[in-house]
Amino acid sequence: MARNVPEWLAPTTLEEALDLRARYGDEVTVVAGGTFIGILMSQRIMMPTVFLALRNIRELAFIVGNLFDRTTAGGLPLRIGAMTTHRAVERSAIIRQHWPILAYTFSLVASPRVRNQATVGGVLADADHASDPPALLHALDARAIARSVGGQREIPVEELITGYYETSLRPNELLVEVRIPPGVERAVYRKFRSRSSEDRPCVAVAAVQTNGKLRVVVGAVAERPQYFPDICSLANSQQLSRELAAEIGCRYAESIHPISDARGSAEYRRRVIAVEVRRALEDFLSDRLSEANRESGVGGLYTVEED
Amino acid sequence: MSDPRVTGAIRYAQDVEFEGMLHARILRSPYPHARVLRVDTSAVSDDVVVLAPEDVRDVGHYGCQIKDQTVLAIDCVRFAGDPVAAVAAPTRREAEEALNLIDVEYEELPAVYDAVEAVSEGAPLVHEHHPISDNDAAYFGMRPQQGTNICHRFRIRHGDVQEGFANADVIVEETFRTAGAQHAHMEPHASVALWKGDRLEIWTGTQTPFNLRMDLAGIFGLLEDRIRIVCPPMGGAFGAKTFVRYEAIVACLARKAGRPVKNVLDRNEEWLTLNRHPAILHIKLGARADGILVAKHVECWVDTGAYADCGPGVAQKMGYAAVGPYRIPHVRVDSNCIYTNLPPNGAFRGYGAMQAVWASERAMDILARRLYIDPLELRLKNVLVDGDRFCTGEVMHDVHFIECLKAAAEKIGWTEHRHGKGLCVLMKGMQTPSRASIAIAANEDGTYDVHCATAEMGQGAWHSIRLLAAELLGVEPECVHFPVPDTDIVPYDTRTTSSRSTYMMGRALVEAVRDLKKRGEIGYGECVNTGGLDPDTGQGIASSHWHQGAGAAEVRVDEETGKFEVVKLYTSIYAGRVVNRPGAELQNEGSMMMGLGTALFEEMAFADGQVMNANLSDYNIPAAADLPDLTYDLVEQERAEIHGLGETALPPVPAAIGNALHSLGIHVTELPMSAERVLHAIDRRNAGAQSLTPETNTDEEVAAQSEQMEKGSD
Repeated sequence: MARNVPEWLAPTTLEEALDLRARYGDEVTVVAGGTFIGILMSQRIMMPTVFLALRNIRELAFIVGNLFDRTTAGGLPLRIGAMTTHRAVERSAIIRQHWPILAYTFSLVASPRVRNQATVGGVLADADHASDPPALLHALDARAIARSVGGQREIPVEELITGYYETSLRPNELLVEVRIPPGVERAVYRKFRSRSSEDRPCVAVAAVQTNGKLRVVVGAVAERPQYFPDICSLANSQQLSRELAAEIGCRYAESIHPISDARGSAEYRRRVIAVEVRRALEDFLSDRLSEANRESGVGGLYTVEED
Repeated sequence: MSDPRVTGAIRYAQDVEFEGMLHARILRSPYPHARVLRVDTSAVSDDVVVLAPEDVRDVGHYGCQIKDQTVLAIDCVRFAGDPVAAVAAPTRREAEEALNLIDVEYEELPAVYDAVEAVSEGAPLVHEHHPISDNDAAYFGMRPQQGTNICHRFRIRHGDVQEGFANADVIVEETFRTAGAQHAHMEPHASVALWKGDRLEIWTGTQTPFNLRMDLAGIFGLLEDRIRIVCPPMGGAFGAKTFVRYEAIVACLARKAGRPVKNVLDRNEEWLTLNRHPAILHIKLGARADGILVAKHVECWVDTGAYADCGPGVAQKMGYAAVGPYRIPHVRVDSNCIYTNLPPNGAFRGYGAMQAVWASERAMDILARRLYIDPLELRLKNVLVDGDRFCTGEVMHDVHFIECLKAAAEKIGWTEHRHGKGLCVLMKGMQTPSRASIAIAANEDGTYDVHCATAEMGQGAWHSIRLLAAELLGVEPECVHFPVPDTDIVPYDTRTTSSRSTYMMGRALVEAVRDLKKRGEIGYGECVNTGGLDPDTGQGIASSHWHQGAGAAEVRVDEETGKFEVVKLYTSIYAGRVVNRPGAELQNEGSMMMGLGTALFEEMAFADGQVMNANLSDYNIPAAADLPDLTYDLVEQERAEIHGLGETALPPVPAAIGNALHSLGIHVTELPMSAERVLHAIDRRNAGAQSLTPETNTDEEVAAQSEQMEKGSD
C-alpha cells in the first residue's frame, strides 16, 4: 500500500535551514507555527510531502527595539524575528510601551491558543488576505528580510504580498525578519468583524502617519492589502478634518473591488470600507486619543480600543 | 470527590478501545444527487476490510420515522456526503489511504436544494417511496405524501380561519426564514462495534439506545435482545447523537472483519451527518382593534435534507409551537416536512421551537405596532392561563407565561423606555407519548446502583438523577452509583431528548424507591405519559407537560454598518423545582449562548448542494467575548413538579433580539441577523421613513403617533 508519510526536516540553525531550502526549493513546505497549514491540511486542500520546520531555530525568535529617538528619521528600525509568535509581540514590554499599535493588532488575531503558535514571519509568508497583521505592517511600511544561501534582501511588505497566498519570496529564500522603520507619529488599526469576536476581519483598516505622511491600507477585502498613495496624499496638502476623513473613506470605497464571502458581500464591504476608513482617520482627530497620547508620552504613537 | 471530567479519567465513546480493533473511514459521494453505476474496490489491498454497496444490498432498510435509509447508498446518492463505501484498517491513516483507491462511477441527476422548490411541480424526487418506519420513534400518525418530496404533512384545524380573518380589524402577514446550523458538539460521533457469534455489541455515543437497537434489529434481522448497546458519556450531543448514525456501517464492517471496528468522525464530517432544519414559516395573524387575537394561519416548509430522520416530528412540533401560547379561536396550521438533496437534518436543541418562536413572536411585534399597542400588553391580553384550551383542544395546566413575561419585562426596564428592547414568550412541548423506567439495586455495602438508560451528554442528567435518588433513599449522593447505561441491563426508556429525563425519570424514580423499600434488594419504577395529536386535525394532547419561558434583549446598533451589540440578554424559564442548581444554571446559560449563535451568525452555507463552511473557522460559533450581559431566572414554586429545562432558553433568544431591533424600526425576517441583513433593514426603514407606515418607524415615533391619535379622538 502507498505510504504517504510526509518528511519532516527540523534544522536547528538558520544556516542549515537555508541549505535545505536551497536543496529542496519549491518541493519543501516551510512551516513556522503551523496554524495555517494545519487548516489547509485538515481540509485536504494541501498535502505536502516534505516539511521544513523552523520551530527549532532559536535565532529566528527575537524582538530588538530601538528605545531611543524612535521618532527621528535617522533612528533604527524595530526588528522582529520571523519565528516570534503573535503572543510574544502582544506581550513584549518594549512593543507594548513603544509600539502599542503592533501589540494591539497582534492581540486581535484569533484566540490565545492560535497566537501562541502563529508567527510574524508565517503570517506574512502565508499572504492570507483575511489576516490582521499584513495590512498594519504594510501601512507601517515594514520590510521583510529574505535570506538565501546567496545572501539577503529587503522587501517592502507592500511588494512582498502579490496575491492570494502569493508572495515575491523566491524558492530558495526564507523570510527571517521583519523591520519596522522609525518615524511613526500616529497609527490606528480597526478590525471590523461582521460575525464572532474571534472571526477574521470583514474589513480591516490600518492608518499610519509617518514623518508627516499618511498611509491608509485596507485589508481582508481583496487578494492583497489595498493602498492608494494618491488618495492618501490629499492629507498632505490640507489639514486632516472630518470632511477630509469622509472623502478619503469614499474614495477608498470607490477604488477597491471587494470580494464577496461569508463575512459580507462586495457591496456590503464597499459600504463598510467608506465608514471604517473615515472612522480610522477620525480616531486621529479625536480628543480621547490626544489625551491618551499625552499620558503615554510616547510622541504620537498610539492605539485605540475598538468601538 | 474529583470530577472525572476534570481529572481526565472519564472515558467518552471516542476513548473506547478493544484489542485487535480496526479503524473505519467512510467514502462519501461528491455529488448531491447521482446514480451510482459502479463501485470498484479491487485496488484496495487485502489487509483492509472494505464495505461496498453489494455487501449491504440484502440487509434491511432503516429510519426512525420514515424507513428511507440503507446502510450505504445503494444505486443512488442523495446528498454530497452520502456514504457510498467504508473501509476498516489497522490505523486511521491506512484506512484513509485505502479510500483513495476506491473508484466510483456516478451519473449525475437533477437535484433540488430548496424546500419550496422541492414541493413545486416537476421538482426532482429525492425518494420514490416513503415507507413508514416500525421503530417506536414513529410515535404519531405519519402522513407521507407519496409521489412528492413531502415525507410528513401535519395540520391543525381549529375553528374557521376564514371567518376569523373576516372579523379581524388588522391582519399582518410575513415570511420568516431560518438557516441550517451545526450542533458543533465537542466530541465527534464515535462508535465501536463487535460481534460475539450472532450477537452484536456496540459502544456508541447515543441519546437513543433503544431506538438504535430497534433499527439495528431490523437491519440485521435479529431479535432486539441479540443486540447490546452501551452508552458511554458524550462530549456534547444537542440532538445530533440520535437514532442510527454510523453504527450500522461500523457493525457491518465488524461483521466482515471478524474483529471490533471503531469509527470516529473528522470534524468536517459532522456537517455531512446531521444538522438543524432550515425552515421557512409564513405567518398570517389577525386581531381586533383592541388587540384580541382572532385568527392565525401558519405554514411551515421544513427542509429535512436527503433523509427524513426525525424531521416529521420536528415539522409537527414546529407547527404547533408556531401557534404560540395564545388563546386564538381560529387556527390553521400546515406544516410540511420536505426532502431536498442537502445533508440530513434532525433533532437540534429546541427541536423546531426556535424556528417557530422566531416567526411567531416577531409577528406579534409587527401586529403590536400596527395596533399601536405595547408588545408586552398585547401578549398579556392573549396569553394562555390555567384552564384555557390550546388550539389542539387540550386544557392547559401549571401555566406560567404571565410571570415569565413580566419578569422579562422588568429585567429589561420595559417601563423606563422601549428603545432597542425586545421581548418574547414561548411554549415548547415535551415528547408525548413516552415511557421511562428505572431500576435501583441495593448493594451489601449500603450503596445503590441506578440502572437507567438516560444518556449523559454533558447536561448533567446522571448527577441530577443521583441527587434525586439520594434524596428519596435518604443517603449521601456518593452512595448512589450510576453505571454506564447498557441495554442488557437497564430497563426501557424512550430516549434522552426533549428535556424529558429529569422530569420523567424523576417520577419513575419515586416509584422505584417505593418498590425497593417494599422488596428490599431491587426496585423498579415506571412513568408513562400519554397523548398525541391527530396529524390531520392537530387535535389531541400535544404535550403532557409544557416547557415555558420568556426572553428579553437590548441591542445597540451601529447604523452605518448594521453591526449590533446585544447589550443585555435575559430569559425567565419555568423550572417548577430545581434539582441540581449548578447544572440547571449551566443548561440555561448554554441554551442562551447557542441561541445567540443562531441569532447572530451561525449559518450553514451551501453552493450547488455542497457545504461550503464545514470547519469551525468558516462556520462561527459564539466565543466568550461575544457574550452580552447574560442573566436568567429559573422560576420555581413550592411543591411544584420538576420541569425539564435543557432547551427552553434557546428559542427565545433570536426572537427577543429580533424584536429589540424591530423597536428601532429595523425589521429583519431572516436568521441569522447578520450585520449585512441588518444594514439592508436600516436602508428599508430610512427609505420608508417618509411614508410613515408603522413597520418603518421606531417605537418612539409610533408612540408619538399613537398619542397624537388619542388626542385627536378626545
